[in-house]
Amino acid sequence: MRRSYLVVVFMLTVVGLALLIPQPARAFGDAGGFDPRILLTGSQTNAARPSAPGRWSWELVQRTSAPARLRPSLVHASDATITDGPFLYWSGDAAVPALTSAEIAGLRRFFALGGVMLVDDAGVSNEGAPGAFGTSARREIARVLPDSAPITIGADHVVFRTFYLLRRAEGRIAGPKTLEAIVRGGSAQVIFSSHDLGGALARGPTGMWEQPVIPGGDVQRERAIRLAVNVAMYVLCSNYKDDQVHAPFLMRRRALSPHSEP
Amino acid sequence: MPTTRLATSNDLPAWAIVVACILAAASLVLLVIEMRRRERGGIGILVTGVLALGALALAVMRPVRIAARESVVGARVVVLADTSRSMALASEGGRTRQKTRDEVVAALSKAAPDARVLELGFADGPPKPLANATGETARGLRSDLGSAIRALAAMPEERPSAVVVVSDGRLDEPQEDAPKPVLAELGNAIHAPIHTIATTRNELPDASVRRVANATAAVAHVPLPLRVDIGCSGGLACEKLTVTAKELREDGPPALLASGIADVKDGKASVDLTVTLDRAGVRILEVGIESPTGDAIPENDRRLITLNVARERVRVLHVAGQPTNDVRALRQWLKSDASVDVVAFFILRTPADTPGASQEDLALIPFPVDELFSVHLPSFDAVVLQDFDAQPYGLERHLPALARYVRAGGGLIMVGGPNSFVAGGYAGTPLGEVLPVSLDGAPGATAADTAPFVPAWTEPGRSAPVLGPLRAILGDELPSMPGANVLGDVRPGGVVLWTHPTRATKSGAPMPVLAIGDEGDGRSIALGIDGGWLFEFSELGARTAGRGHGALWDGLLGWLMRDPRFEPAQVDLPEGCIADVPPTLRIRTAGRAGKGETVVLDVTRLDKSGTAPVHVEKPLGEGDAPLEIALPALPTGGYSARLRLGSGPTTRRDFACEAGGDEWADSRPDPERLRALAAATGGTFAFADDVRAIRLPKPTVVSAERHVVPVAPPWTWTLLAATLLGAHWFMRRRGGLS
Repeated sequence: MRRSYLVVVFMLTVVGLALLIPQPARAFGDAGGFDPRILLTGSQTNAARPSAPGRWSWELVQRTSAPARLRPSLVHASDATITDGPFLYWSGDAAVPALTSAEIAGLRRFFALGGVMLVDDAGVSNEGAPGAFGTSARREIARVLPDSAPITIGADHVVFRTFYLLRRAEGRIAGPKTLEAIVRGGSAQVIFSSHDLGGALARGPTGMWEQPVIPGGDVQRERAIRLAVNVAMYVLCSNYKDDQVHAPFLMRRRALSPHSEP
Repeated sequence: MPTTRLATSNDLPAWAIVVACILAAASLVLLVIEMRRRERGGIGILVTGVLALGALALAVMRPVRIAARESVVGARVVVLADTSRSMALASEGGRTRQKTRDEVVAALSKAAPDARVLELGFADGPPKPLANATGETARGLRSDLGSAIRALAAMPEERPSAVVVVSDGRLDEPQEDAPKPVLAELGNAIHAPIHTIATTRNELPDASVRRVANATAAVAHVPLPLRVDIGCSGGLACEKLTVTAKELREDGPPALLASGIADVKDGKASVDLTVTLDRAGVRILEVGIESPTGDAIPENDRRLITLNVARERVRVLHVAGQPTNDVRALRQWLKSDASVDVVAFFILRTPADTPGASQEDLALIPFPVDELFSVHLPSFDAVVLQDFDAQPYGLERHLPALARYVRAGGGLIMVGGPNSFVAGGYAGTPLGEVLPVSLDGAPGATAADTAPFVPAWTEPGRSAPVLGPLRAILGDELPSMPGANVLGDVRPGGVVLWTHPTRATKSGAPMPVLAIGDEGDGRSIALGIDGGWLFEFSELGARTAGRGHGALWDGLLGWLMRDPRFEPAQVDLPEGCIADVPPTLRIRTAGRAGKGETVVLDVTRLDKSGTAPVHVEKPLGEGDAPLEIALPALPTGGYSARLRLGSGPTTRRDFACEAGGDEWADSRPDPERLRALAAATGGTFAFADDVRAIRLPKPTVVSAERHVVPVAPPWTWTLLAATLLGAHWFMRRRGGLS
């Protein structure tokens, strides 16, 4: 009897102390969290993998301290709200029509503010050959940023170590080991993926993955999710992991890592 | 005064008179020699010969009578009396050098009653009338005789016939051991001899810090070598003296930065010390020695050095609790500024997160909270705590050190977010005490208001230079924020720049959203929002090309670092500060004149001991002319002047008041320098007890009216000479001479 009384008192004390702790307001910070906004152009109405951005946010929140919007928004390139956030996710599995002047102007305003865009080719072949979307998106981005050309970024780029230490890029398909990026002012502002990253992230309402990942299966899907997390972290932290205090530490860890390259 | 006198004819040059006199004298000598061969009549020959020679000379010179009305004008003599601080030191008999100087000046006037004596005082720059100089006692910060003489030579008035310098000889210019041509040049500049009178003969028993020199400019965090010259004179026993360098701080006793031992030989020693100053801006360094027994002037055993410490780069520690758009925006701004050196630590993973990978696959390193906030903290100029919870990461135990860091001159910015301020556990902690706003530490206190709002400008916010660049871009417009941290009332010394439009504090005042404040030597800022990134990514941001974010942070970090651009006023002391002499502060305000604002000035001692604080309130004038505020005399020490314009933020200027400054650093008189100066310029030298040895120029006679009349017509002198020559010839022949 005496013992149960002490337990009750203890529990009440714990509950009381918990109530005394000031409660943070999560929504206050979520407004500034990662928002994989889906970019629409022309008559496009949604991303090639509509469920991928939400899953991307979910994975980010589960795995990292970064807040994210679990219900990402959609924005049209010609909409004034294109400049309301620092990130855009542009995916497709078909060729995109030529951007209108309003769309080009909107995208230029977005990039002028320092925004970052991921161009994800959902129509890429299983061998990694760019699909119609990838080819046409590159063409249109060249019209938006005519003074910049994509360059290859490999495992030595900070995108590959913003959270996870990655040795190559992967998505729904293994594709090329590298990404491509348009680097402006020292930062990768447009990142091109020929891996259908959204395909690896897409998950239906039943909890089933929507697309099979080839050839690596779930292991490759996990690495694709890690790449998506890294991209989100790159958007939020830019080149933080290139800082002097991190670089030697990470280089040493990478050199000692027993994991072989997939 | 009418006078009459004889002179030679005006048409004769001086050399002709000289030649005539020489010829006459030579003829007289020949006559005396010839007298040995005479046969008789020697006296007659001699008398007629002398008369003939005299008549011949008169025939050449043709005397005239000059009647004139004349007056005597005394020579213009300038007395340059040393009015530097060293004249306040003692001389023989316990009197001050200044008293001896004044006695000498009075004696000079008596010794030359005919002379027109102008008494001037010299110290720094052009000489000033001595009456004023003595009235203010000996307070000059330098002994620049060279500048005084050159200024005297450039004056349009009558050039002096002589200059008399009365000094102890411890001059800044001419320097000790100056070569003779350099000394002679001073005499050439004034075209007159420079006489010198030394007030003092003997050295006092004195040990002192004669000079503190830094070879390079003072830069924060960079070791600064100091050369400290020690002197020991007047027979004082000095062998080994401990030399220390301390920084005067407002948050506590002077902090010892370096020390060394001076091995005194032949009355001199030098010690090299290296100090590292962590904070930029005006810093006061105290360099001192232990006073040996018998030291007659203990005041010069320590010097107060004012260093304007610059920064190579602003070192900022940026700690963020979670990666967000706001963290991203601030990091990108910090990294884009080449003058900012950023060390960043972001919490990328909390214990609740499940990355699903081994540590080897994660690019995460441990957050070195202990190392950062103990070992490295002083090396940062500013710390940014952005949306950071103190509790889970062990920062709580370092909050006292962080508060001390701010009070010692560091900068702190707390940026809002769900983990900041009240939610971060800062209420009631030492860190909460150095923020410009109070935090509610009550159980269950509300941490945030998640309702969107647009911050409202306060009146001080509109006029504060810290937000000047932002207002230049946005005007009154601000972006809508997704929420705010709940902050309390502004603390004493703080200024609210933005408020919440609807929410109020417990006192009923509008809730602060952005507040700044001084705390000890440092400054802190509370920004209770995490939507700063909306200055870039929003409709307003797009319209202004995102420049508002950079302008906001440029102002905030610049104000924190006391960048003059963001100070409401500039405060300086044009004439420095000498202990026990009322100093004057000069205040310049940019564009604030004519607004009816009041200048509130508070001067406190850095060590908070002894002297009562000075509080002055004065209305700011209409014009742009600097406002000058005379302070009461202050004792030796370091001081902090804080100035507030109206209800705006404060600006601060630290300064030091020394007992004697450079002038007392070397108390030895230097009569030999005065002697050399007199010798090089054709003057005379004397000690104070022998003023009559100074050879002052004679007065000049000036004729107002003049009449010249020949004593006799010229032919008269010729006839007389011919007659006397004939008589002489007759006497020679008669005496047997040819």
